[in-house]
Amino acid sequence: MQNAKDTFYVTLQSRLAALNPARTIVVRGVVRPGTLVDENELPTAWVPVDAFRLQWTGFQVNRAGQLPLVAMECSIQYATDGNSGNGGMDRGRLLAAMDAELASALGAEPHTVPKMNYAAAGAGVAPTAMGTNVFWADPVFGAATAVDERLERTTIVQVFAYQEAGEL
Amino acid sequence: MSDLVSATGAAVRAADVLLRAMGGRTVMLRMPAPAVPTDVTEQLGIATPTFQDLPLEPVVYRKARATVAEGKAAKWELLVSATVVENLVGSLSYASASVLFAAAYGVLSGDELLEIESATGEQVFGQPYVYRLVLRAPLEHMV
Repeated sequence: MQNAKDTFYVTLQSRLAALNPARTIVVRGVVRPGTLVDENELPTAWVPVDAFRLQWTGFQVNRAGQLPLVAMECSIQYATDGNSGNGGMDRGRLLAAMDAELASALGAEPHTVPKMNYAAAGAGVAPTAMGTNVFWADPVFGAATAVDERLERTTIVQVFAYQEAGEL
Repeated sequence: MSDLVSATGAAVRAADVLLRAMGGRTVMLRMPAPAVPTDVTEQLGIATPTFQDLPLEPVVYRKARATVAEGKAAKWELLVSATVVENLVGSLSYASASVLFAAAYGVLSGDELLEIESATGEQVFGQPYVYRLVLRAPLEHMV
C-alpha cells in the first residue's frame, strides 16, 4: 500500500512539474515542485497556497482475486489567494489554471505506472521496480469554496494497486 | 529621525525589561534542518530531518492558564522578546521573523512541544518590540 502511495505521488508530482515548472513551494529552505503529501511533512498550521496537497483519506481491500486489490482514495486539495499585486482579482483564473493542470496530469495516458519501492532509495540511489502496476480512475472535482479571500477546491481520485507478497 | 530610532530602541528595551520583570523564562525554538534538495525520500516521509533547539529568552506566557475549549487542544499565548527574535533572524539568515516562525517545528516549553499556530509582531513606528505566539498543546494531551 505504501509503495503505491509513494509511486502515485512521485508520478503526479513529476507530471505536474512538467506541465508548469514555475509552480513551486519552499519547504524547509528548499524550492520543490508545488506538490506535497501532508502526512509526509512536519505538522503545521500553515496551509501552502498555489500548491497541490495530497491526503490519503480512504482505503479498501478486495481479496476476491489472486492478489488483494487495494483501492485508496486520494484527496487533492489546492487553494489560491490570487496575486496580491492584482488585488486578488485573478484568484478565479489561478484556480482554473490549477484545475487544468491537475486534470491534464491525471488524464494523461497512461493511467498506470509500474509500482516502485522507495524504501532503499536516496540521493543517487534509484528506487526498485516491483512486479505490478499502480493505476487510477478519472478525478472527481469538488465544488470551489471561498473562505475570505481564499478560493479552494478538493479533488478526489481513486488509486488502485495489487498488494504483492510481503509488501507492507 | 534620531527620535524615531531612539523611540523604537526604547520600546524594545522597555519590553525586554517588562518581560524579565514578569518572570521572563527561557523556552526553546525547535528548528528542523534544511531539506535535502535531491532526496525524494524526505518527501515520502522515509528520511526525517534533524532538529536544532534554539533558546528564546526572555519570554512570558500572557496568561497563567491555557485557553481550553471542550474537544479542542489547549492554547497558550507566549510573548517573546523582539531582541532575541531579531538576533535569530540575523544569525540564521531568514528573511523575516514570520519566515523563521513558519519554518519552526514548535516551541519546547519544559518537556512539552507546542505547535506554533500563529506569530504576530507588536510594533511601534513600524518596528516590532515584542512577538506574540499562539501555541497549541499536543493533541494527546487533549481532554
